[in-house]
Amino acid sequence: MWLRLIGCALVTVSCSALGFWKARQWKEHRKLLEDLRRLIYLLRGEILYARSPLGEALERAGSKSGGPAAVWFCQVAKRLEQQEGQPFSRIWQQELDKQAGAMLLSPREQQELKEFGEHLGYLDVEMQERTIALYLEQLDMTIGFYRDHEQERTRMCASLGIMGGLFLAVILC
Amino acid sequence: MEKQDRLLRIFAERIRKVLEAAELDFESLQEIRLRAGRPLLILYGNREYLLLENGRLEEPGRGRLRENGTGSPVCAVRPEELKETLEYIGNHSLYAFEEEIRQGFITIQGGHRIGLAGKTVVDGGEVRTMKYISFLNVRLAHQVRGCADPVMPYLYEDGRVLQTLIVSPPRCGKTTLLRDMIRQISDGPKAGAGKRQAEAEGSGPSRPPRAVLPPRGVTVGIVDERSELAACYQGIPQNDVGFRTDVLDCCPKAKGMMMLIRTMAPDVIAVDEIGSREDLEAMEYVMNCGCRLLATVHGNSLADVEQKPVLREMVENQMFERYVILSGRQGAGTIEEIRGKGGELCG
Repeated sequence: MWLRLIGCALVTVSCSALGFWKARQWKEHRKLLEDLRRLIYLLRGEILYARSPLGEALERAGSKSGGPAAVWFCQVAKRLEQQEGQPFSRIWQQELDKQAGAMLLSPREQQELKEFGEHLGYLDVEMQERTIALYLEQLDMTIGFYRDHEQERTRMCASLGIMGGLFLAVILC
Repeated sequence: MEKQDRLLRIFAERIRKVLEAAELDFESLQEIRLRAGRPLLILYGNREYLLLENGRLEEPGRGRLRENGTGSPVCAVRPEELKETLEYIGNHSLYAFEEEIRQGFITIQGGHRIGLAGKTVVDGGEVRTMKYISFLNVRLAHQVRGCADPVMPYLYEDGRVLQTLIVSPPRCGKTTLLRDMIRQISDGPKAGAGKRQAEAEGSGPSRPPRAVLPPRGVTVGIVDERSELAACYQGIPQNDVGFRTDVLDCCPKAKGMMMLIRTMAPDVIAVDEIGSREDLEAMEYVMNCGCRLLATVHGNSLADVEQKPVLREMVENQMFERYVILSGRQGAGTIEEIRGKGGELCG
């Protein structure tokens, strides 16, 4: 009997923890996207104001910030510095694939970032400005979506966790 | 070796491999010319060569025979390879070189200058940009320490640097000479230079009588519009231009000279390849501020300089005190003559 009760309590606690973890991940995801947006703003400053080449701009932006997106920026800059003889978009995508997990990006967000990389460095400064502005717009919409739904999503995840745990406990009993 | 690797990395993969296979001595390598759909040519030890696919060098006439199937074909540059090379030259960021492309060149790390030609996009009479870039000329920069040694005693009078103009045709080493002059003026005379100078004055009648070398170096300001003199990379000179030298990199000469005067208080200002009216006005301003000026200009002789409208005025007004005339007669950097402010021969 005691064992059954302990088992039910464990199921309830772990399901609740899972719910809270999911809720936290939603917030974390939004925070990471905001970090990415800050980095893109820094990149824009480097390109438009200092006219820095991509390698230098990514390195400077990355070193001013922290988190997985900054690590990704620095990695891309490092590979550009090595001049491996590969197109920029390929380096950008390869490094993104390595960091995508840590950045908690959804497949759609990854795709948007890859497309952004394909157009970076193309033509003149005006083109860079427009490319960055377009991506920032997409990013703002994504962040807006995460912020708008944050409260209901976190509540829902937490409630589902607790309720699911209780439900399982009842069934097990 | 690292510098060599860095330079090779600007080329498309296949061209890079062929150049690696050629095992060239980079000290003798002067130019690499790439033209879309045409053979790759190099200027090596003052001679022009075709590069073959197997990395061997061939003189142009014979290379064409080999193209017909007898032996290794010449290394022809494909249009897509040229595009790829351009991408690497611009660090995947051609937008950062808009102004340079407009002027027809990009300077890369190490001070090597890449000349560009293609179709220009003109807007309101001004070149807006260049597209279909199909011709590249990679000109390698070589730092030759001590190449200004024979000239240095003529550049001083009573311990002060003279207003000096280097006159030289293209590819005859004017930038290299100017760079070494800057270094020596900035660092100061070498130990024992005074003694050697005194000896030389005793034996050489043509030597200027009061060319006393200063006890130490002086502050030099460089306006390095094309990043060729100091070859700055992220603001740090890659070439040795002396430890009392300040560099204003990628700055238009006329504006840069004024900025240096106002901010860095240089004793000497150095500029390369003067030409426009604005440059010359700024030079006059510099000279009248008590600053000494070192400049270079294209030309074969002093007579050529006198043909240029504004420069003629400066020569007539004896604003320059020394003219160093270079040629390529005995290889780049041959000092033909050194003249004084009235055009008299000094050396």
